[in-house]
Amino acid sequence: MNTVVAGITYRALLGRRRIVLLLLLPVALIGLAVLLRAFGAADQATAVELMKSFAIGTMLPLLGLIAGTGVIAPEIDDGTIIHLLSKPISRPVIAQTKFLVAVTMLAVFAALPTYVAAFILVGNEDDIAVGFATGSLVAGIAYAAVFLLLGVVTRHAVTIGIIYALVWESLVGNLIAGARRFSIQSWGQSIADQISASPFLEADVALGFAVPALLVVTVAAVFWAGQRLRVFSLTGDE
Amino acid sequence: MSEIYDIGYRHYDGPRLGRGYSTRALAVHSLRGVFGLGRPARSKIVPFALATIMLVPAVVSIAIMALARQPGIPYSGFAVIMQAVIAIFLAAQAPTVVAPDLRYRVLPLYLSRPVSIAEYVGAKVTAMTVAVFALVATPLTVMYVGELVVDLPGPPATGEYLGSMVTALLLALLLSAFGLALASFTPRRGLGVASVITVYLLASASVPIIYASMAVTGNEEAAAWAWLMNPFWLVDSVQSWLFGTPPHSIEGGYPSGPASAAILVVLIGAAVAALALRYRKAAAQ
Repeated sequence: MNTVVAGITYRALLGRRRIVLLLLLPVALIGLAVLLRAFGAADQATAVELMKSFAIGTMLPLLGLIAGTGVIAPEIDDGTIIHLLSKPISRPVIAQTKFLVAVTMLAVFAALPTYVAAFILVGNEDDIAVGFATGSLVAGIAYAAVFLLLGVVTRHAVTIGIIYALVWESLVGNLIAGARRFSIQSWGQSIADQISASPFLEADVALGFAVPALLVVTVAAVFWAGQRLRVFSLTGDE
Repeated sequence: MSEIYDIGYRHYDGPRLGRGYSTRALAVHSLRGVFGLGRPARSKIVPFALATIMLVPAVVSIAIMALARQPGIPYSGFAVIMQAVIAIFLAAQAPTVVAPDLRYRVLPLYLSRPVSIAEYVGAKVTAMTVAVFALVATPLTVMYVGELVVDLPGPPATGEYLGSMVTALLLALLLSAFGLALASFTPRRGLGVASVITVYLLASASVPIIYASMAVTGNEEAAAWAWLMNPFWLVDSVQSWLFGTPPHSIEGGYPSGPASAAILVVLIGAAVAALALRYRKAAAQ
């Protein structure tokens, strides 16, 4: 953890138009929760559906993508990463610092709004709010690690990340149950299911698989991102 | 006192090709850029992979027609069924049309030539529209040719095919205008991709939730309008008004008629106006 690197990354993430995108999704989630409440449709089934399909199914992968690639990809794109890499800071430490920055962003912009939206709908009933907030935090950590790695490996990180989140996790995951075993959002849902006692929430992946998978994916991705940065070479754009 | 010296530069006295030529050249160049033609192989992977994915249902549909002797995927519902792939194509490729010019600050160079802002924006929107239209129309045409070759009992659905082609053009225009307007606000390709897909997902993921909550509480009339927040369903409702095709929403019908067509026209106009406004100060990032 290097505080100077962290400070620069925060400024790059929050100082530009990226902040609008980071705010847009949580605001929409809370807006939907308020709307549902206003229409008097605020019951547990709706809350779980909103959390599953919107908070963890749509918002979390997108925010993970924006934050995870946003901490490093713009610098690589601009070529300014050279200035950072030429300083006597261990490259794995740079990767870990940027990962931690992305995680804090996801905690603020994804996990916290998830809790607020669920709380607006059902209060603290059956720990739905706490469960989904924890689930999205843990899944957000894994997303941040994976998308940070993608940002280091390829310049098309955002496109590939969207294809993973939309085609694999949503489209294929809806059709083939087996694909859900290898999707980060399902692992987050198992954690939510474990904490919450709501009868409407049914996780597809066993906790015994989800927790080790989350750990392995996160640690491996951050480690590999550090290794890739060690041998990083700046190639020209198209 | 200043004086102009003739220092012997040769005059250009060849043909002047004019604004139409330069606008066309810009449009063709942008269109080639969307599919990565004239660029390294890495840039061709994503557009051509997505175009191939679009062809898979067409091939499956022909196989159903040939083997099971029954109609495959309806032409009118094709774009709605494949909306995720079309949206990813738009998000991934719209920034390649506008972002590099902003990023490398070449707009002042373009605009110091006879190309005006209106022509620049027109060329870019045309290029993206043609690209999205090709993405949707190719599988439709493949399916139609397949239907003619397989020769199912009964007349071929020529009317539905032609209607779906017109609809595909409307859809391509709406998506391109919006995609480019969103992508042109940042010189960074990655951020452009993220913003286009975010707006699409906001529209598509919130629609079923809004619909369900309104339908449950008895606002059936108002609930039906919620579908039109998704561009694909909006264009589908215009199609069902123009050509009398059945609606392809997930559940329940939606309002169709001049109102949805008016919304479509207003949205396209708003997106093009936003683009024109954005390029008023062309070099500003």
